[in-house]
Amino acid sequence: MTPGTWLLKFAPLVFNERFIEIVVRPTIADLQSEVAAAGSNHVKRVRARCRGYAAFWTLMLVAPFASWSEERANVASGLAAGSVIVTLLTVVALGLWTALVAAGATLVALLLHTWYERHPSEIAVPPVAWRSPQINFSSTDIAGNIGGLIFVVGSVLIVSLALPSIFWFLLTGGIAACFVAWGLAAWHTRARKADWTCAERPPRLLL
Amino acid sequence: MLPTKERLILELLVSEGPMFGLQLVERSGGALKRGTVYVTLGRMESKGFVESEQETPDPGAIGLPRRIYRPTALGERMLRAWATFTREVAWEVKP
Repeated sequence: MTPGTWLLKFAPLVFNERFIEIVVRPTIADLQSEVAAAGSNHVKRVRARCRGYAAFWTLMLVAPFASWSEERANVASGLAAGSVIVTLLTVVALGLWTALVAAGATLVALLLHTWYERHPSEIAVPPVAWRSPQINFSSTDIAGNIGGLIFVVGSVLIVSLALPSIFWFLLTGGIAACFVAWGLAAWHTRARKADWTCAERPPRLLL
Repeated sequence: MLPTKERLILELLVSEGPMFGLQLVERSGGALKRGTVYVTLGRMESKGFVESEQETPDPGAIGLPRRIYRPTALGERMLRAWATFTREVAWEVKP
């Protein structure tokens, strides 16, 4: 197969016709002419291919900035190209592990969303519209059920992966929080029995 | 304003004649990159500084035909004007 054939098939998915004609086809033509010029020398052919493919993937990065290329690819193509670029940049800049963790976090977010869609729970609504623009987990309203538990455990895991130096602090804090939660649950149970704070409040279902 | 890479391409095309993109990269001594040279050439073509045509492929040749670039009259005039401008500015600011 002539080198660059599948790149030509892939190009219309992410580039517009004008960009392909003026930029992509000459780039692939250079790749093919260099490989042909390398003759039967295997090493030279491999090097020519590597240079040509690197040039093509560089186009993926610079294409969004080619403002002279008037017509735009459709939204789905742009989204696909953007995803490829973001993935490549994440892998190159932050490493494969970070890219996998980001993909895993996205998956967990989708799972949580699906869970809440199927099990709508009583999520508290903030009493006032204004909220302080700070990142503060304590002000995040979550339900007191298994969905909330997944959120908390997931958040702690993500933070501990990002900041391993505070792992022991998080572990100790998690254990302490379990004791506090146990104490609160016991107190609420006794209060409900005594019927002086949580009067007529129905018990919350865990699942 | 004539960006550095566009000026370099115009200088190469004016001094050495029509060239393929890859030849421009080789003659530029590393100033032009193969991944971006055609983006720059496309921009210059849309400005009217260069024009291009596909090479006539040899009989039996495999692969796509390459594009050969040459400066337009506007491109050559722009290069001369820019050279005059930079020379005048350099003379003005000379201590």
